[in-house]
Amino acid sequence: MPDPRLPPLSHLQFLVLGSLLTEDRPGRAVREVVAEYGVRRSGAAFYQLMARLERDRVVEGWYAPLLVGDQSVMERRYRITARGRRAWNATRAFHDAVVARYRPEELSDA
Amino acid sequence: MRESGGRGLPGPVREQVYQPARFDLEIRHFDRLARAPSAAERAGLRIQHSLSLGLLYLQCVWIAITDRSLFLPPPHSLILPPDRIAMLRYHLRHAVRRLLREPSFTLAVILTLALGVGANVAVFAVVEAVLLRPLPYPSANELVVVQHRDTNTGIAKPYIAIGDFVDLAQRQQVFTTLAAYGGVQSIVFGRGDPYRVEGLSAGPGLLELLGAHPVAGRLLTLDDSREGAAPVVMLGYQLWQERFGGDPDIIGKSIRLGSIDRQVVGIAARDFSFPPTAQGQIIVPQTIPLTAPSARKSDWVFAVGRLRSAQTPATATTALTALSRQLAAEFPQTNRSATYFAEGLRESLVGSLRPALLLLLGAVAAVLLIACANVANLLLVRALGRRREMSLRLALGAGRARLTAQMAAESFVLAAVAGVAGLMVATVGVRALVALIPATISAPGLTDITFDGRVLAFALGVTLIAAVVFGAISTLTIRSEDAAGALVTGVRASSGSGARKAAAALVAFEMAFAIVLLMGAGLIVRSFVSLVRVNPGFHSDHVITVAISVPGARFDSVPARAEYFASAFREIAAIPGVQSVGAAAVTPLTGNNWTTSFELPEHPAPAGEQPAEVGWQVASEGYFRALRIPLLSGRLFDQTERPGSPGTVIVSQEVQRTLFGGTNAVGRSVKIGGELLAVVGVVGDIRRAGLRDVPRADIYLPFARSPARAATLFARTSGDPASITPAIREILRRLEANTVLQQAQTLDDVASDSIGDLRLVLWLLAIFAATALTLAAVGIYGVMSYVVRQRTREIGTRIALGASRESIIWLVMREGGTIAAIGAASGLLLGMLATRWLGSLLYGVGNADPIALAGATVLLSGTALFACYFPARRAAGLDPARTLSAQ
Repeated sequence: MPDPRLPPLSHLQFLVLGSLLTEDRPGRAVREVVAEYGVRRSGAAFYQLMARLERDRVVEGWYAPLLVGDQSVMERRYRITARGRRAWNATRAFHDAVVARYRPEELSDA
Repeated sequence: MRESGGRGLPGPVREQVYQPARFDLEIRHFDRLARAPSAAERAGLRIQHSLSLGLLYLQCVWIAITDRSLFLPPPHSLILPPDRIAMLRYHLRHAVRRLLREPSFTLAVILTLALGVGANVAVFAVVEAVLLRPLPYPSANELVVVQHRDTNTGIAKPYIAIGDFVDLAQRQQVFTTLAAYGGVQSIVFGRGDPYRVEGLSAGPGLLELLGAHPVAGRLLTLDDSREGAAPVVMLGYQLWQERFGGDPDIIGKSIRLGSIDRQVVGIAARDFSFPPTAQGQIIVPQTIPLTAPSARKSDWVFAVGRLRSAQTPATATTALTALSRQLAAEFPQTNRSATYFAEGLRESLVGSLRPALLLLLGAVAAVLLIACANVANLLLVRALGRRREMSLRLALGAGRARLTAQMAAESFVLAAVAGVAGLMVATVGVRALVALIPATISAPGLTDITFDGRVLAFALGVTLIAAVVFGAISTLTIRSEDAAGALVTGVRASSGSGARKAAAALVAFEMAFAIVLLMGAGLIVRSFVSLVRVNPGFHSDHVITVAISVPGARFDSVPARAEYFASAFREIAAIPGVQSVGAAAVTPLTGNNWTTSFELPEHPAPAGEQPAEVGWQVASEGYFRALRIPLLSGRLFDQTERPGSPGTVIVSQEVQRTLFGGTNAVGRSVKIGGELLAVVGVVGDIRRAGLRDVPRADIYLPFARSPARAATLFARTSGDPASITPAIREILRRLEANTVLQQAQTLDDVASDSIGDLRLVLWLLAIFAATALTLAAVGIYGVMSYVVRQRTREIGTRIALGASRESIIWLVMREGGTIAAIGAASGLLLGMLATRWLGSLLYGVGNADPIALAGATVLLSGTALFACYFPARRAAGLDPARTLSAQ
């Protein structure tokens, strides 16, 4: 019996969390990942997305210093939380379940 | 445009959105800068970077406004971290957002409360300045003035006979010092144009008693007050600055005051004046004899004393009464009916303003209570509307404490904003209030009303009480047992009859207070009308009064003054439109009740008995004509009265009635001040001191026989009396360039000013009563609208079953009417008690005046029914098909 609940993450959140599954990344790098999928957002809009994920405690952000040329600046880095991993896994399970339920022949083709 | 730190952005937006995005921009910027070859390119990059930062900032402002979810706690937990400050901030933020979402409700509450708080703070600011703020003297609460009362007539006077003052000052034990003082008016000559100055004539020890200090030179000393001492003067600080340019070398120099050269010995401190409402331009020594003169009433002084420790005005009065009895035994001819009493300095200064102010404070507090009841009602109705939300949250596990805290936060935010808005209302209100206070009312502090700590504390207190009360009312509706019920009943989370009863009770409470205010206003209006209708015994219309004084040097002799005034009368009478002109010592309706003793030579007062006291006036023939005081028999003064002529007198009808047994007084003789005077005429009685005064026995001495240097001219004109003031001024200046013209005022204005205190109360009480009535009307309208909404289903059913439109209107109106009737009835009882405080302000009506009571009841009931009619009409217009199906 499949779990009838909708997934906790949107596709964009799924993508962001996915990019953090294996390593911590600075915000810029995450932004580049989503840009590869055609989601081009202004800095403000992107970090608004990240702030919501932080608020929901699925990612954790912190500041780290960085040297650019001779200038020392800060950057915000993110890591996925345990709660984030659970949410990502639940979302993935949802997609897998939907795929398994409605398109078995395509699955077998693949 | 460059914005470096994201200042002004809320915390989460600044830290989690603005700053990381900005750091990214900087990383990109520094990277590009390092690779840019030319300075021009680098400059271009810097401009581009600045613009990007500016744009980012604007985007973040937009996010802060639109994305409220960033401020919410995570959705998986309704329990906040146990950080109290954070919790408080969260509740407050949430409350602000919640209130912003209901702008009309929020605005209604804030405006209602702001009006209530503002009016209270404004009136309290005046009360604080006049009644609470310490007078500007050290230990001012120990200062009392000694006053005189005639036990025969009951008239109290603020001044005392010189003989009595000397004896009282020597015999009393209750004051550290009892000092005499008086007012002084003079003209400064020899320094440009002559100008008039007012000030204090200080008896020995007065300045020390008041704790005065000179800023330059010295105070007046006992020696300065001795008879034959060299004439000296102290200058008031302001006069010194304005007329002498603050020149310290003025000390030791002489200035000409009137006809005397006085040496300036000192400058008073900046804020010194006595009494505190006086001008205090000059201080001259007052000479007080060392022993009481045999003519005990040859002069009059004011007296102020400083109470010894453990003494109060009451104990001082007891001591003074005992001394009065001693004096009465020793000097029965003069002191038989004289008694002395002490009154606190502030009480004597504030006078009739105190009951008026306290009354207004009471009235304005009632307005605030009504405003609070109204707001409580709004909150109650709103809370009932939110019961489903609250119940749902309770059911989902939110703590009752948490919901209570949220409601309390909303009440607090409402009250705080209303408090600030109320202060703004108060700033405007105080100005309006001060403008309404007539110039004839002077009281300490009235010119300097500020919002000091005490006033702000009052505002804060009022606001906090309102916040607590509202919070309590809102939380009353949170009941945990409702949790399940609300979910089961679904959309119809209806209110219990208890809440409806509470709302009705609040409205009844409003009605009760509104009717009290209406009754008060009604009684004051009735008093005002009675006073305006009072016939003062003379006609005040078309009369201009001009107070003048002539310089002493040229007009030392009586014939010179008589000649001056005769010329003045002649020339003023020639001004087109002038019908009659005269002069008198006392202007009617200015509170003056000078009296003199009066004896019939054939019936001298028995030894040891004081002769009768009658009102004293000096007047010319034209005075009677200008004021149209009727001549009842005999004649008015004429050419035969002149300096040196045999003494004559005109008496009022009351004198003829009481002292001549009703027989014609003309041709009889009377003894006044030891002189035999022939009665030449009898005139009608007038209300001399004020409109509230009963007409008293008055005698008139002929002005032409011994005109004083200061007098008031009265001219009756056919047209606008004020229009001839310039012509009068010109004539008087032509006759004597140094004539000092004081106030020119129409007699109508004098009459109007004489009831200025009542007019002030009338205006304010009318405004407060109208506000109260409006609030009560809004209150009952709100409750009845709510009742109709709650009973929609029932009303729909009734209509469906054939109830007529009239019966539905009657149904609703009956409920509203019952609330109004309960409120009005309890208000009437309350009002009967409350209006007793009006006491001395009332004239010609009792505090249970049936017309005022009936008027208030009719007005309130009419307004209440009018307000109920609209929801009733809406109820009658309900479409049963829709209301029933909607349920």
